Amino acid sequence: MREYAVNLIVGLVILCVMSWLIVTFVAYPEIKNLPLYTFATVSRIIITLLVSVVWGLSFGILAATNRLASLIVTPFIDLLQSIPILGYFPIVIGFLFALGPLGIEFSVIILLFTSMAWAIFFGVLGAVSGIPANVAEASKAFGLSGWRYIRHVVLPAITPAVISGANLAWCDGWFFMIAAEYIQYEGRVVPPPSGGLGYLLARAAYYYKDMNLSVILLLFITFIVVYFNILTWHRLMDKVSTGTFKPVFKVDLSGVGKLGVTRMNGWLHLRHRWPKSVFAVSQRLRKYSRIEMIIAVILALFMVFLVLRSEGHHIPTLDTVMKGFNEPPSEELSKLPILISLTMMRLVVAYGISLMVAIGLGIMAVEHRRLAVIIYPFYDIGQGVPILALFPVLFLGLNQLLGAPRIALEFTCIIMLVLDMIWYMFINILSAVKNIPAELKEVGQLFGLKGYKRLKHLVIPYILPAIVTGSVLSWGTGWNTIIFAEYMPSTEPGVPSLSVPGIGSLLDTAGYEYGNTVILFLLLGVIAAIVLFMEGAIWRRLLRKFEKYHVEV
Amino acid sequence: MSVLEADKVSKTFEMEKNKIPVLDNVSFSVGNDEFVCLVGPSGCGKSTMLRIIAGLEKADSGTVKFHGEPITKPNSKIAMVFQLFGLLPWKTSLENVELPLEVLDIDKEERTRTAQEYLEMVELKGFENTYPHDLSGGMKQRVGIARALALKPEVLLMDEPFSSLDELTAKTLRELVLDIWRDPDLPTNTFIMVSHNVEEAVFMADRVIVMTARPGRIIGDVKVDIPRPRRSHMREAKYFELVDKIVELLEIGKKNQH
Repeated sequence: MREYAVNLIVGLVILCVMSWLIVTFVAYPEIKNLPLYTFATVSRIIITLLVSVVWGLSFGILAATNRLASLIVTPFIDLLQSIPILGYFPIVIGFLFALGPLGIEFSVIILLFTSMAWAIFFGVLGAVSGIPANVAEASKAFGLSGWRYIRHVVLPAITPAVISGANLAWCDGWFFMIAAEYIQYEGRVVPPPSGGLGYLLARAAYYYKDMNLSVILLLFITFIVVYFNILTWHRLMDKVSTGTFKPVFKVDLSGVGKLGVTRMNGWLHLRHRWPKSVFAVSQRLRKYSRIEMIIAVILALFMVFLVLRSEGHHIPTLDTVMKGFNEPPSEELSKLPILISLTMMRLVVAYGISLMVAIGLGIMAVEHRRLAVIIYPFYDIGQGVPILALFPVLFLGLNQLLGAPRIALEFTCIIMLVLDMIWYMFINILSAVKNIPAELKEVGQLFGLKGYKRLKHLVIPYILPAIVTGSVLSWGTGWNTIIFAEYMPSTEPGVPSLSVPGIGSLLDTAGYEYGNTVILFLLLGVIAAIVLFMEGAIWRRLLRKFEKYHVEV
Repeated sequence: MSVLEADKVSKTFEMEKNKIPVLDNVSFSVGNDEFVCLVGPSGCGKSTMLRIIAGLEKADSGTVKFHGEPITKPNSKIAMVFQLFGLLPWKTSLENVELPLEVLDIDKEERTRTAQEYLEMVELKGFENTYPHDLSGGMKQRVGIARALALKPEVLLMDEPFSSLDELTAKTLRELVLDIWRDPDLPTNTFIMVSHNVEEAVFMADRVIVMTARPGRIIGDVKVDIPRPRRSHMREAKYFELVDKIVELLEIGKKNQH
């Protein structure tokens, strides 16, 4: 505890020195607010995190223990989870103007919540459903029920999931902070009254177009994220993985008796993005019955209805919808097939790069201990950088380098996608390679499988299911990211914003510039349909095919 | 003339900062055509011993010699059958048996023929193109046995090969293994099996080597002089005497543990 306090103070002192330096040497008027903005952003994320934990715990336990609740809540939340943050803008805008300055603060927190809450919910849901039937039966047989059952069985069982889910939410919060603190409505930026780091960074990059300041701010933000990760989350996750929180029935078979592997395991656990990856994918790909899907769709339609209604202050009629279709940017809709193909091409290129690099790094990180020492810290810091915040900085840098804004944006877009997609691939592949059963490795060793043959016959087939899981997730997050990455907002009135043609930038134009909710929802629907189609047509099939590759241990 | 010779083999595992000694000065030898069984309480290092013979693990001190040569790495003359079968789930029975042959650069036609022949021997004709996922436990172990034999090894190591099977299946497979051991046409005739089932050991082995609890030491080397086939002698006093003797040794071995 003392050590923790000392580290915390050291971190705060470093932060103070950094912000003092920035405030002293940078001339822009907003910069003097840096300490206040930092405080505002950190408190916002912490508040949202607390709300998310409470919400995730209550709804997660409810959905996992109550059949009726799960029938309605789970698919609905899964649906909400798949909506990109931009899809929530129209809802938030209602509050924005209704409640004055407080309303804007409230809106930012709602937006953050829509990107932070889900991981905890799915983590809790998975962990509660993962309580072995014999443990549940035994505790019921001894008369544990209601609160006592939750206190003695459920809570200990879900603690690791809550902690890793909260860690994920924390990272997601920093990831989306820049989008949440930079709300645009009808081409106008609505800054939160108490400011924020995301707002400041967006201002530095979009408005002042100052590369140096952007990089400094990005480093500042990254320092906060990584330092907090090391200080708090790593400790908590360490406790989870070393067993302090581990429920008795969770047996970790990986690496037992194999030299120092156990230690490495503990160390690796920290960086897991697994709750989301494991539960969201298995939920989405396997579990839903048709009835659940129908309920979810009805609820979603109801929500759209409410939003349209609250915004237009009248019940949406065919007229309002038709009006939306006739207002800009509706003329772009005829180009939709081309725009979708262009976006798809970017995603495919980024996916290909991510896949190759992740397979290479993932296998090397496990098989060559020495390389692991180099790869892991990179991974740690890489995961800590809020990639969305990197966007303006990357664009400014490439634009200065190339002198052609559109080409620069095109490259920025693909780099952003790779940086975003690669983590899911990497972590899934990494944990799969780590989990190759000792007996299979021995078989390979015994029969002299080496190098290429070992990869071909043993390693690659074993990690195929993990590659599929990683692919589903990275495509999901890729679609989310491309909505931001194809479009560079303008902050000066009269200057058009910069974009590369694609469905993402069209969606931004509809949302930010015209506030055309009808087209916004139409495009979100199109994206959702593409994602679902790909899941059904490609991923689900592959996963089913690879199911029999599963090794019983 | 002994085929395998273990000489003062010791091994310690390091977990976190703890040192766990698993084998302490283990010496024994196995003759040609012999069927030897290693028994001992769980965690006594008998599986580790087997892995050292297979060349999968290295001893900290002491050596294991195969025809007088120290074993340092896996050798195609010594094959192994695993407790959990060790089949590659993404390969069919045939492909699983073919794989080690492919590593030895045997051409496609030849290895398919060999693999088919051995699958037939373990009575799996007709299941060549089935994936492990769709085989029962007993059938999986048959594939595991065929895969090991297809290499035409001299020595067959078996790590608790029947302990994850139900008793009826295990019984059938024990007979199959004994038939293979006795088959004069097969080059594989020295068998070492790890087991914690004393009756199984007495039923199958020529000699039962009894080990103590961790760190494993040899506490007894019991010759099983019951005529074969033993099925008809399993109700005789001699059989029970040997079982009792080994169980007694195991008890002493447990008490020796501090």
